[in-house]
Amino acid sequence: MRPILLSGHERALTQVKYNPDGDIIFSVSKDHVVCAWYSHNGERLGTYHGHQGALWTVDVDPTSTLLATGGADNTMRLWEVKTGRLLKTWDFPTSIKRVEFSADGRQLLGVTERRSGHTGSIVVYEINPDVDAPQSDEHVLRIICEDSKATVAGFSYLAQYIIAGHEDGSVSQYDAKSGELLYNTQVHEADMQITDLQWAPDRTYFITASKDKSAKILAADSLEVFKTYQTDTPLNSAAITPVKDYVILGGGQAAMDVTTTSARQGKFEARFWHKIFAEEIGRVRGHFGPLNYVAVHPQGTGYCSGGEDGYVRVHHFDKPYFDFMYEVEREQAQAKAQASL
Amino acid sequence: MSRTVGRSDWAADEDEDELPQNQIIKNKDGTETIITYAIREDGKKIKTTRRIKKTVVKQIVNPRVAERKHWEKFGQEKGKAAGPQTDTVSVAENIVFRPTANWKASSDDKGEADKKKADLKQAKIKCRICSGDHFTTKCPFKDTMGVADEATPAEMPDDAPQTGGAGAGSGSYVPPHLRGRAGGGGGEKMGGKYERDDLATLRVTNVSEFAEEQDLRDMFSRFGHVTRVFLAKDRETGRAKGFAFVSYADRSDAAKACEKMDGYGFGHLILRVEFAKKPDGK
Repeated sequence: MRPILLSGHERALTQVKYNPDGDIIFSVSKDHVVCAWYSHNGERLGTYHGHQGALWTVDVDPTSTLLATGGADNTMRLWEVKTGRLLKTWDFPTSIKRVEFSADGRQLLGVTERRSGHTGSIVVYEINPDVDAPQSDEHVLRIICEDSKATVAGFSYLAQYIIAGHEDGSVSQYDAKSGELLYNTQVHEADMQITDLQWAPDRTYFITASKDKSAKILAADSLEVFKTYQTDTPLNSAAITPVKDYVILGGGQAAMDVTTTSARQGKFEARFWHKIFAEEIGRVRGHFGPLNYVAVHPQGTGYCSGGEDGYVRVHHFDKPYFDFMYEVEREQAQAKAQASL
Repeated sequence: MSRTVGRSDWAADEDEDELPQNQIIKNKDGTETIITYAIREDGKKIKTTRRIKKTVVKQIVNPRVAERKHWEKFGQEKGKAAGPQTDTVSVAENIVFRPTANWKASSDDKGEADKKKADLKQAKIKCRICSGDHFTTKCPFKDTMGVADEATPAEMPDDAPQTGGAGAGSGSYVPPHLRGRAGGGGGEKMGGKYERDDLATLRVTNVSEFAEEQDLRDMFSRFGHVTRVFLAKDRETGRAKGFAFVSYADRSDAAKACEKMDGYGFGHLILRVEFAKKPDGK
């Protein structure tokens, strides 16, 4: 496969996201600009200007009409995807580390940073899907994270729970209606920050990535750990692939140590693991800095990664990716084919 | 793919000199030849000929996706032509990604580093004179013995027959006065033409392969007394290999020649002349 290299950003990428149809990629970086790209050829659709600080996060609603971003300028913003028009700005006392829409696009959550005098929190807003309608100023829910600040969060299936990953390596489950803490469990090693949380397509389970060099798949309702993927480098991101049962892990040497390590030692590769057998099946090289985020095409035909090196690399999978099967999988597929004859 | 046709417009609308009309020729095999003319920054006209094969790949997409493909660009991309822009999009080198069941964490990485280390450990210092484990310059026999079988081109005698130099190994007859030279014979090294003043030797590179030693001698003797000219020749073809050494009796002559002859056009090539590096790095 020949990756497409997107070089529209001037600083390290922080998040990249596909829209639900997979035709547009949104990328945010520390250079204050949001970019939208066509995924099939890498053509840049446009840029969204207005943020005054580094951007940490981006998410798009299910209909690809609204885009939410959050950054270090202590604002969360809502944009019209089509034109780049700024629709709404919410101000906060601290920066926004993560935004995410619910599956129906009616709710938007933001994770705020903890800083002197302010605890970390998760705020939820009602969103009006009409671009011209005014958006509410008041949050409908605010969850204060007393013990350890949340670093990542998302809505589970049917927006029943809000799942949050914390700085201390624990994962919490909150009721998405009342904000009540239902359950908290130490999933990753203590004091090893959870760096990413991405959902399976049906949002019944999710994968977390952590600085403790492992990624784990957990159930959304019980927070039971299903699978663990232990690697040899701190992880920044993990994604679950549809179609094939793989997970993609991205990470590498901490950003501050990058200049002191060579590309080979830095382990700046996207690692592919088999989701069920929890075995590494291959790596994709390319970045010369740690991978800050990996996102998978919702139809499972490709993935893209944003690196500390300022590039987004868009990959379209080719045949060997789809053909690969373990022996047991192959036998099963054959048995199924025979049964249907 | 049709954008390549549109791209030629920018050149067309800013030409002051009349440039020939751009041409699009349809070839029989289904390809198109596009000839465009433009003026480069330095004022030269350039003609670009491109042969393009167009293939139409039909893809059925969701109507929402199809609609989004025709959205106007905005922000920094506002007003730009359709298709990827070269400043933001490029295609990286091909990556082979083949999932395998027993994928081992790149063991070759470690192997390489270890190998290098082992190589370093094994690398021994070997004297070229007595094969002892010291540097050649520190050899106790330095003054009494010559360097063993390390005949660099500079040390090859210019007047010796080509076959005679190698002599020792092959069964052919070697005259007594040439014997043992390859074997590091002692006495002969001293005195005479073998004690060369490398300080006055020039290395001439980029010599035409049709050059002869006499040509070089003629050219270089303009600057002083040339004691020796050695032109490296290919043994089989007899043609020059492209480098030569010229020794002068006087170093100042050599310096002058170096200055004058560097960049001199000889044959169809431009000579490069510099002082020869001393073979043992003294």
